[in-house]
Amino acid sequence: MPNIKEVQTEFKPKILAFCCNWCAYAGADLAGVSRFQMPTNVRVIRVMCSGRVPPELVIRALANGLDGVMILGCHPGDCHYSEGNYLTRRRAHILKRLLSYIGIEPERFQLRWVSAAEGAKFSAVVNEATEKITALGPNKWGDKK
Amino acid sequence: MKATSQEVQDSVKKLFEDRRISHFVGYEAGSDSLRVTPCFLKSGQAVSRLVWNPLCANNLAKYLLDLRQADGTVGILVKGCDSRSIVELLKENQIERDKVFIVGVPCNGIVDKEKLLTVLGISPGDVVAVEDDGDAFLVTTKEDKRRVGKEQVLRGECLVCRYPTPVIYDVLLGEAIPRLPWVRDDYSLVRELEEVSVQERARYWNKELSQCIRCYACRNICPVCNCPECIFDKKAPRWLSKANDISENLVYHLIRAFHVAGKCVDCGECERACPMGIPLRRLNKKVEKDILELFGYTAGIDVKQQPPLTKYQVGDLDEFL
Repeated sequence: MPNIKEVQTEFKPKILAFCCNWCAYAGADLAGVSRFQMPTNVRVIRVMCSGRVPPELVIRALANGLDGVMILGCHPGDCHYSEGNYLTRRRAHILKRLLSYIGIEPERFQLRWVSAAEGAKFSAVVNEATEKITALGPNKWGDKK
Repeated sequence: MKATSQEVQDSVKKLFEDRRISHFVGYEAGSDSLRVTPCFLKSGQAVSRLVWNPLCANNLAKYLLDLRQADGTVGILVKGCDSRSIVELLKENQIERDKVFIVGVPCNGIVDKEKLLTVLGISPGDVVAVEDDGDAFLVTTKEDKRRVGKEQVLRGECLVCRYPTPVIYDVLLGEAIPRLPWVRDDYSLVRELEEVSVQERARYWNKELSQCIRCYACRNICPVCNCPECIFDKKAPRWLSKANDISENLVYHLIRAFHVAGKCVDCGECERACPMGIPLRRLNKKVEKDILELFGYTAGIDVKQQPPLTKYQVGDLDEFL
């Protein structure tokens, strides 16, 4: 049996991506079909709309040990339900600032717009997020120091 | 001219006599001279119990929710901050405007008991009465009368209060106060923390929130926390574990801060109710500040205003791309 501690020396972040069914999820699909290279750190959860993701889910995910959480939705104006992403945008502004205020690096939470045609952007977003969060190190939510 | 206990009693008596109200919620003297508790009246006979002084800290607006089923109209005594809570309750259709009779009193600031006792170096039993006296409080102790500068002993939220006069009322007792002379920077508490590094902030909040015993007093006293079933009480999905764990404390306070976002009127009741002395206003003030800066919205001013997180503008700031 190899020593588990020795194997896990390199930090590999776990990142959660809530992808909207109509844009970002299709974008992720396109990224896969187009065979763009992407790190495997991002786990995708499909939701019907980026507006479906309440801040509670993001907070819960970070508290449960995820190193980063992304919400990926349609570009403003392109929402399948007209206005879901606009409402998400307002909430995300507040949440990002609140997380930073309470001591969570704001980069751990991201909202990005990825359309169904933007496979390349999806892979770029995943690459960028993985890089940033790897640089930040593990999520220290509620660590007693 | 300031409103007095006598004025409050007279006007409430008249309201009962004219059958304008069937219930009244006000303040009465509590178990010691520094304590004032809510007082519930069903007739005009006991109006002499009512008091109005700089110790009346409670936000009575929440009791309107308990009295929703009451027959007739409920009268209530409100300060500036309490009236803003009522505006928020009306916005959410929690109460009906015509079933509430609002007696407004302009407020010259409420005493923070702990601060007062520390500044004067006395124990609660020594105090006989506290009166308002312009820019100071007149404290009558067993031995003497002392003037204490307001800025030393005011409650935190009163130091930054922009609405000393109720924004909504049916009658106003005493003269409206346009602004309080000591109010300067509303958000200095928040800015101090914003200026330090994120690690520093993490340390600060971990220290403060590790004290939380999750008694939920802050939620229970909050007038805008009025969901029939609170997310934290739900068994499935269970959003919050029962573990005594600081990371769960963080989850609780973050989610709560978010749930009162755009509704919190900074009445300071959460902080007053907290048995562990956690600076909860400092958290809610941050959200209030961001909403003001990003969306130009202040809670509890106008019943017709739509809450900021339930609407959007196409031209809102977009830093996400």
